[in-house]
Amino acid sequence: MECCNKRRMMKESPESNFMNRRGSSCFPDEVLERVIGMLKSRKDRSSVSLVCKEWYNAERWSRRNVFIGNCYSVSPEILTRRFPNIRSVTLKGKPRFSDFNLVPANWGADIHFWLVVFAKKYPFLEELRLKRMTVTDESLKFLARSFPNFKAISLQNCDGFSTDGLAAIAADCKNLTELDIQENVIDDKNDNWLTCFPESFTSLEVLNFSILHNDVNFDALEKLVTRCKSLKTLKLNKSITLEQLQRLLFRAPQLCELGTGSFSQELTTQQYSELESAFSNCKNLNTLSGLWVVTPQYLPVLYPACANLTFLNFSYAPLDSDDIAKLLVHCANIRRLWVVDTIEDKGLEAVGTHCPLLEELRVFPADPFAEGDARGVTDSGFIAVSQGCRNLHYVLYFCRHMTNAAVATVVQNCPDFTHFRLCIMNPGQPDYRTSEPMDEAFGAVVKTCSKLQRLAISGLLTDLTFEYIGKYAKNLETLSVAFAGSSDWGMQCVLEGCPKLRKLEIRDCPFGNAALLSGLEKYESMRSLWMSDCKVTMNGCRLLAKEMPRLNVEVIKEDGSDDSQAERVYVYRSVAGPRRDAPSFVLTL
Amino acid sequence: MEEMVMATLDLITASPHSSSSSSSSSSPTTDNNNHPSSSSSSSSSSLCLSSISTRRTDLSTDLRLGLSLSPSHYSTPSREQRSSFDWPPVKSTLRCTLVEKSQISQFVKVYMEGIPIGRKLNLLAHHNYHALVKALANMFRTTILCPDSHQLPLISGNNVHVLTYEDQEGDWMMVGDVPWEMFLTSVKKLKITRADRC
Repeated sequence: MECCNKRRMMKESPESNFMNRRGSSCFPDEVLERVIGMLKSRKDRSSVSLVCKEWYNAERWSRRNVFIGNCYSVSPEILTRRFPNIRSVTLKGKPRFSDFNLVPANWGADIHFWLVVFAKKYPFLEELRLKRMTVTDESLKFLARSFPNFKAISLQNCDGFSTDGLAAIAADCKNLTELDIQENVIDDKNDNWLTCFPESFTSLEVLNFSILHNDVNFDALEKLVTRCKSLKTLKLNKSITLEQLQRLLFRAPQLCELGTGSFSQELTTQQYSELESAFSNCKNLNTLSGLWVVTPQYLPVLYPACANLTFLNFSYAPLDSDDIAKLLVHCANIRRLWVVDTIEDKGLEAVGTHCPLLEELRVFPADPFAEGDARGVTDSGFIAVSQGCRNLHYVLYFCRHMTNAAVATVVQNCPDFTHFRLCIMNPGQPDYRTSEPMDEAFGAVVKTCSKLQRLAISGLLTDLTFEYIGKYAKNLETLSVAFAGSSDWGMQCVLEGCPKLRKLEIRDCPFGNAALLSGLEKYESMRSLWMSDCKVTMNGCRLLAKEMPRLNVEVIKEDGSDDSQAERVYVYRSVAGPRRDAPSFVLTL
Repeated sequence: MEEMVMATLDLITASPHSSSSSSSSSSPTTDNNNHPSSSSSSSSSSLCLSSISTRRTDLSTDLRLGLSLSPSHYSTPSREQRSSFDWPPVKSTLRCTLVEKSQISQFVKVYMEGIPIGRKLNLLAHHNYHALVKALANMFRTTILCPDSHQLPLISGNNVHVLTYEDQEGDWMMVGDVPWEMFLTSVKKLKITRADRC
């Protein structure tokens, strides 16, 4: 039929011609593309591409964003061949346990060869979002030169670059709207990268340099903030004083997300009231973070801005229970709260009392290595929050000990958990009241929370925990396990029982080759498996690699270790074959 | 498959690093572990537990000795080295910032010449002399000559000062001659004295 035109020479196969004549999908390519182009969800696009060849093509031509959860699962050549029109790329590199130093430096996930391919195939690239990748200054300079329309760069947990790279971005990306540098290992060389934004540059909307240690050129920053009228997100580093903050807020009252600098300068009465009025002029503020080095007496300057806050990130501000309670009185609309455990149970009670709309709570340990009667939060604080905040669906909770009963109460109060990450900091810590394992706690979580997608377990745990997980956690996608389990059976239960499992990361558990090999068919439906310091041997890994050629089975070898043991194993599906850039300590089997 | 499992268990008990961690040192966590489980599994979990307790003790010693916690530490990961920094799972950036802050604060008295009532200042809230001088100049509303600027007090007058400190031996010294970290260990008190007096 003529309505199916030949614009892009898709009609190679006789089958597709036949289908067209049958009229089953008789739209011109442009229409089909336009319709499918409206789909935003990755899952929907994936489903759509499987319907028939035309839909596959319409989808691939209309796609503008691509998300790659494991940079080694696909190559830039394959990517660019399938999706010719991409404007935004999100890439994740190293396995998550690299955040905790379990992956050696120079492991890989270098962005450079991706950029080289993108420069040829995606010259109109606008956005790059990277997590746990290695990014050098050379790459950043190359990026700044190669993509004239480049708008947004977000680097999270990356390493390998310095402020020189940032200077190149500032100088050459004329259309930049977003520069977001989060939690990276960055060489903070000079304070002049901010001066590299040209005087004519005004398009910035997001600026986050909170992780830099050194002073920045405040004069340049103030001028930049003044001329970028669309600035919505500004996250400062600890070198910025309260006085400087006040000046910036005066220039940018339209801010929606603010990360303050240090909160502990000595202020005169006038300076204090100027700062307070600066905050009250920020009518659009919904996110507050930073507060490096807090002088609690100054917290009240924030109160005028608290009513509209939905996200409060105090993970770098160790406040005590009184300070947080006084602040939270004003924060009735909070949905997400990140705090340090210095607020203790009393502080959590205040959360339960004042923040009924809370959906996400993260409590970080101020002193992870403390011994003896270190303070922090306990089971009673956990319960207190769950009683007051019935909408809670995301929790990350660091504590020294816990009870099964408390966790059961918490999930009874809040059955809608999608993310439940409990970290009992003493490995192998049993229920401190009953001395039993913590199996029943996680059993309660998986039985009650049917929507659970992500789970991190800790404490003294036997195979029973894993039996529960395999039996009940039918929506589980990510599982993190440490110092848990009694035998291979535990891991087997999970691999056999959790149909939606995508990421499994395990460390220091007694799971061996039997457990590893029980997941043979499973791993191709998962993004990745990480096992470190378990009982897996090289022979087990070789067997896995042999049986499943479409998986990459990699072992990270340490110096001076037993050759037959596989201390750190990383298994992932890939259409790109084995890595071509593996360093000598990564063995691909 | 079973043979492989048994062979694996044999390898574990024979391998060098497991024998070092299953030392006879009794740790509190293993003593509390009265959960009934098969002997092989309890030995493997106690292997993990006792090794972790030793690692954690080492780490607190490290912290007390003030050893560096820079995130770039993890370049050569032999088992013993990296084991100090990978549990609990708190990211390096967060860990360094918080541990920095959880250290006991170091408040010292600060007097300005001519003013009988002193102030108190937390030295650990500042990272170097420059920040300290800036903070004090703000606190006392005066000009304090920076220790590394070589301006001799040609400026006479009442509102230019220098910073001095009393050390552990009771002597009054000019601030700025020794490295910052060394200064922190020896300072007892601060005094802002008139520049034309020094």
